[in-house]
Amino acid sequence: MSLERKDEFDHEGWMKERDLTPIETIYLTTLMWLDKRLRIVDYLELLEDLYYKINMQMPKSHTEQYNLDNKFWYWYPLYALGSFSTIAYVVAAISGALLGFYYSPATTGDPSTAYNSITFIMTDLRFGFFLRSLHRWSAQVMVAAVFLHMLRVYFTGAYKEPRELNWIIGIVLISLTMVFGYTGYLLPWDQLAFWAGQIGVEMALSVPLAGEWVAQLLFGGFTLSQSTLQRMYILHVFFLPFVATALIAIHIGIVWMQGIAEPH
Amino acid sequence: MSENESTTDGTGSEREAATDGGRKAADGSGIVAPDDETPTWRERKERTQGLSQLTYEYFERARREDQDLRTESDYVERDVLAFPVWPHEMIRNLALTSFFVGMIIFLAAALPPHIGAPANPSQTPAVILPDWYLYWSFGLLKLGPLNPDLALLGGQKLMADRTYGVVANLVVVGFIAIVPFLNKGAARRPVEQPFWAAVGVFGVIFAATISALSVKNLIPMDSHLLFDLTFLLPFVGGFLTYAVLKSMREGYMFELNRRYYRLRPPK
Ligand code: HEM
Repeated sequence: MSLERKDEFDHEGWMKERDLTPIETIYLTTLMWLDKRLRIVDYLELLEDLYYKINMQMPKSHTEQYNLDNKFWYWYPLYALGSFSTIAYVVAAISGALLGFYYSPATTGDPSTAYNSITFIMTDLRFGFFLRSLHRWSAQVMVAAVFLHMLRVYFTGAYKEPRELNWIIGIVLISLTMVFGYTGYLLPWDQLAFWAGQIGVEMALSVPLAGEWVAQLLFGGFTLSQSTLQRMYILHVFFLPFVATALIAIHIGIVWMQGIAEPH
Repeated sequence: MSENESTTDGTGSEREAATDGGRKAADGSGIVAPDDETPTWRERKERTQGLSQLTYEYFERARREDQDLRTESDYVERDVLAFPVWPHEMIRNLALTSFFVGMIIFLAAALPPHIGAPANPSQTPAVILPDWYLYWSFGLLKLGPLNPDLALLGGQKLMADRTYGVVANLVVVGFIAIVPFLNKGAARRPVEQPFWAAVGVFGVIFAATISALSVKNLIPMDSHLLFDLTFLLPFVGGFLTYAVLKSMREGYMFELNRRYYRLRPPK
């Protein structure tokens, strides 16, 4: 028996008398060390509180209550389309970041630095051809998944109260997805890109009232130039990723809070 | 409905929100939210004034409403309603994710894209196209023939065809955006609302036909016929949907009433 005074806060003494395994000792020591400095226990308590509150309020779902599951399970795969959009977005983000290491948006050079960097990726870079292909396809698949997701939401009436806001966020998201695709389409600066850009400028110019302003802002002028490509690049790799990621997070956060609309 | 009995046989006064399937955990072993000194909405209300007081007043009412609804409801409240995330959900999600990513990789490996000739401002190619998912928008730009002209202006068009196309884009997107405010109510299944199902089918077919219209020079068909079909087919599809659902409706609604609405009538 030690002669040292033991009080309630003598955690070490407490640990000694508990006869702990080494793993438990290491765990507790680390926890105490961190807790003394960061008050971790407070946060754990908050989390625990939240956990109980969430679970306590959960009513039985009506699919369960009225035993409708036998009627609906075969529709459930369609409810995965939103997650598939997210997965395709993640794949596109990763492959896009890798492509970004090798691409540079410049119209100067012969025929142009942008075009050359794409041909470099496709012919010289190891796995480059595949990387570009992967980025392309994940983008295409994402658009398809988002569209089908929207149809699923429409035909199951899942946009009704209280989910109107999420429907509108969804409209913004599908538009952003397409703008993502459009700006990316211009980056290789080949014939298709150039002339699709031409149509874009013309469309922007035909916007009632604000036409010229829109064209200036998005395309950096009324004809295609270096500034057009540069703007498309910044939109594609900087602006849109931030906005779209934030909106997807909000969108899914709202679904989390409101729950999936159940069929009935 | 065995779980319901505990609440339905109770008289008004002794109706309480029953957690844990109606069984009372008198021994205190049930999950109980920690009781702390958080001020109630009422206390906060009394401490403040002006807008923040209003806010708290609203919160108090709203929480009150929730509580009333909860005690009225014949829902069975339970402590936990879920599958465990690990391993059930995680394994299922991993399987789905790897299958899906595998599909993308397979597509990417099997059908790689190519790159065209470099940009050349002085040479317009024969075919100018965006990616397929923008065809619908591109198609809306080709609605010139529908642009109304006004007799008042001597047969002149009110706006340029291009402006008309851009405005058509805005109208389409705007319409889809306000759908939740046009169609309200508790109905979910297409059979319950044949009209809105028909609108949806119209939209899907129109998205396809307007996309086809945008690439009309690649489609081996008379372009006037294509133009007419673009608007005809969606209506045909919409009417068919309406007719089919309307005739299915009676039998289906009977089932639905029996299964659902009689138990939980819509508001
Ligand atoms: C980037 C695009 C999008 C992503 C990543 C996304 C993601 C998701 C996810 C993961 C869910 C959960 C339920 C499910 O997967 O079906 C969901 C639900 C929902 N989404 Fe999206 N979504 C996108 C676009 C859209 C669009 C275009 C719309 C409609 C215009 C939309 C409207 C909704 C609504 C109303 C819900 C709630 C449905 C319910 O509660 O049953 N979303 N979204």
